[in-house]
Amino acid sequence: MLHHLQIWLASARYSVTRTLMFRFDFFLWATVELVWMGVNLLLISVIYGHTDSIAGWSKYEMMLLVGTAMLIQRLLFGFFWSSLFDTARNIRSGHFDFFLAQPGNVMFMTTTRKLDLDSLVNTFVAAGVVIYAAVQLGLQPGPGDILLYLLMIGCGLLIHYSALVLTISLAFWITNAQGLEGSYFTLFEFSRLPRQAFKGAANVIFVWALPAVIVSNIPAHTLLHGFEPRYALWLFGATVAWFALACTVFNRGLRRYSSASS
Amino acid sequence: MFPVLAKYRQAFLIGLQSNLVYRWNFALRGFFSLFHLVVVFILWSAAYEGQTTIGGFDLAQTMTYFVVLLMMQFFIGAFNEDYQISEEIRNGLINQFLLKPVNYFLYRFSIFLAARLVSGLLILIPLAVAYPFLHDYLSLPDEAWRLGLGLPAMLLAALIQFSIAYCFGLLTFWFLEIQGFVILSLAVESVLGGQIFPLDLMPDWVFRLAQYLPFYYQMYFPVAIFTGRIDQALAVQGLGIQLGWVALLLVFNHFLWTRGLRRHTAVGG
Repeated sequence: MLHHLQIWLASARYSVTRTLMFRFDFFLWATVELVWMGVNLLLISVIYGHTDSIAGWSKYEMMLLVGTAMLIQRLLFGFFWSSLFDTARNIRSGHFDFFLAQPGNVMFMTTTRKLDLDSLVNTFVAAGVVIYAAVQLGLQPGPGDILLYLLMIGCGLLIHYSALVLTISLAFWITNAQGLEGSYFTLFEFSRLPRQAFKGAANVIFVWALPAVIVSNIPAHTLLHGFEPRYALWLFGATVAWFALACTVFNRGLRRYSSASS
Repeated sequence: MFPVLAKYRQAFLIGLQSNLVYRWNFALRGFFSLFHLVVVFILWSAAYEGQTTIGGFDLAQTMTYFVVLLMMQFFIGAFNEDYQISEEIRNGLINQFLLKPVNYFLYRFSIFLAARLVSGLLILIPLAVAYPFLHDYLSLPDEAWRLGLGLPAMLLAALIQFSIAYCFGLLTFWFLEIQGFVILSLAVESVLGGQIFPLDLMPDWVFRLAQYLPFYYQMYFPVAIFTGRIDQALAVQGLGIQLGWVALLLVFNHFLWTRGLRRHTAVGG
């Protein structure tokens, strides 16, 4: 564990040095992400200009939900996205060999190699959105509530990470599924919707079968209405299940890997 | 006249063939766009709960807007033309066009038209599959003038879409990497082009201001004509402004091309 932490810290130092070398890129990409976050908030603002409630959620409750979804998304992009995106490409090209020779767990080594500081900077903006919405709603969460919320954000991050690992693991079997991981963006859109808006088949698919909705809705619900054991258990159970599935599928895929011809 | 057009016809045919190679990529993208449509449907259905209209339009009219918007994105939207142009400049592939009697803008535009023809026809497949679920939420106006004005608006919108992508591609003469600029611009284009929400839902002064910007004409305008969100007088006036923006962008493209070429260094073949 300590050994992997040391490796991760070395990678993080490298990422910071690299970012400092390309400062303009850092500012540009941080701005790009900031503007896109603004677009999501603008959509909420425009809709609430014409209605008071979306599936029973008021404007600031919705803002808190969207802020939570953005927080998880920024963390995913900051800690894992580049490495995961590269992993799929490396499997297809055969450059994945390099990671097999490294002194650590292959999945850890290949999916945690790069940090995107521009995304991590914007986690503060997303957190600011959540805090602003909470203040507008007059919420006064205690330290325990905040800790639980952060723990749930961690679960949401791990679920998204697991789902992405599953997606890129397809490259072990289907080498021409290029761009599939890019389509993962679509799933993020569901995270910004209130669970109560899903009805019928959409409820079964996106709330129960896929974890797209619960990752953001359960933390937001906890902050808004307090701790509910059944929701917490649902999220923690989903985290364990999705992470276990991701590890299993990735390791199965690893057995199939045969370098450039994989 | 016709020999001049013949070479661009060939470029169009080559574009058609090379884009048919990527038919599965377009089909996959079309399939994932249906997920976006599901998100739109869930969000707007929830917003319409307890009220019959938003901004003067009912749920069916709003859903029709988003379905036609999706079709339009595949028929006239610039996908990755900016990156393709950027790559050709960076790799020196544009050198061949400097020595031949081929206009680079027209060559790329011919390929763009071919690509959109392929992607546009392919999006009809997932939409046809989704039609049984969608048909209750589709409400298209039946006035003939909408087709008469909507089709030229669509063609001019394609020209604006391509011209903006072309401008960003040409930025490679000055910057090594254009991806950040493109995605930043995409956010502005998406909002002011009505791709996130119908522009008429914005405060009135923002909507009126947007009508003087090119983004309004690159997507919202043709979609609004087809789906009945703007009347005939506004459509005719809009066509005039749209034509003005096309002319301005073409001049600006030519300016960027000639200035960019002064900085360009052709090495090797």
